[in-house]
Amino acid sequence: MYYVAKVDADKCAEYKCTTCTLYCPEANTLMFDSVANNAWVDEDRCKGCAICVYVCSDMLNRDCITMTMSTPD
Amino acid sequence: MSLKYITPSERFKRYLPKDYVELIDYGPFGKTQDEAGPGNMGQFKELVEEHPMCSGCWMAYYIRLIFASLPKPEETVTIGTAGCGRLAISQAAVPFIYGNYGDQNAMASGLTRAFRLRFPDKTKDVITIAGDGGTMDIGFSMTMHSWIRGEKFTTIMLDNEVYGNTGGQSSGMSPKGAVLKMAPLGKDFEKMPATDLAKAAGCVYIVRMSPTNIKKAAKVIRRAIFVAREVGPTFIQAYTSCNIEYSIPTEDVFADAKAQEKDRFTFDEYMTDAAKEVIERVEAEEKAAKKAKKAMEA
Repeated sequence: MYYVAKVDADKCAEYKCTTCTLYCPEANTLMFDSVANNAWVDEDRCKGCAICVYVCSDMLNRDCITMTMSTPD
Repeated sequence: MSLKYITPSERFKRYLPKDYVELIDYGPFGKTQDEAGPGNMGQFKELVEEHPMCSGCWMAYYIRLIFASLPKPEETVTIGTAGCGRLAISQAAVPFIYGNYGDQNAMASGLTRAFRLRFPDKTKDVITIAGDGGTMDIGFSMTMHSWIRGEKFTTIMLDNEVYGNTGGQSSGMSPKGAVLKMAPLGKDFEKMPATDLAKAAGCVYIVRMSPTNIKKAAKVIRRAIFVAREVGPTFIQAYTSCNIEYSIPTEDVFADAKAQEKDRFTFDEYMTDAAKEVIERVEAEEKAAKKAKKAMEA
């Protein structure tokens, strides 16, 4: 079981915003899909620090990212 | 290394590891900062790969930013030393040399000179990225002497104000009174004035900052590299908090970096006239190239 970030894709796509992808301490983890216009998380790489939640919720008031428990399939 | 050396032939590509091919196809090699730079991190394959640094490490974030800001990653060599930083720096697709503790600036001096002799027609960037212990405590004499000799390379100090890798001993850069796991009575002398020391030792471009503004932080890194190519030693002291030793909850790491920007790490930029000339020239060239590209597209 891992604690990882999850992006609400529909909610995220409403904003043209890439801010969270810029502040993730891990490279190639929180990525931006420029076609669907939303951010997405590579769950295998996410370390669950929740800096992206701070950026999305506290800084920008958009609440698109939540921390969830992920279980391997 | 060079761009030619990195790029495989098309027919050979399918035999190479997927990660490597992705790095060539979607990575920043040979691209401009607008195509693959700090402004669009998360939209291209970055140089840094998975690394063992702690969750929410602000140092890992700054290292990611350093590698995204490199003007010529294929012509760059990084040098580091013991400490947390090297765990991520060594995972990047840029040649990395590990110096014995504190040796990084002495090694960089030799390497810079060797590059200038071996590749007189090329621009090779040497960057030392080390922690506050490696730069200002144990590597102090080598750091100072490389600056006094005017060696042309960039020194970046990842200042987390503690020996984070070994369990929380206070370093010369810890603030006065800091209570740490291995300094339970609090540190009893002041934080070392690193930027003043750099100024006295002859660095031509010096910045102290907390990297919260990506554009600004990237600009500083690039300026330091451009000035080091032509004028002399450059130094960046960046706040990269240790959320473990200073007990900062990971979700508050960014807020802490912002708070430090108003406290011990107020933005401070110093440059000599010669450095200013280089910066103005390079930035004007970049602007002109951007304008020309825009005109071409239109």
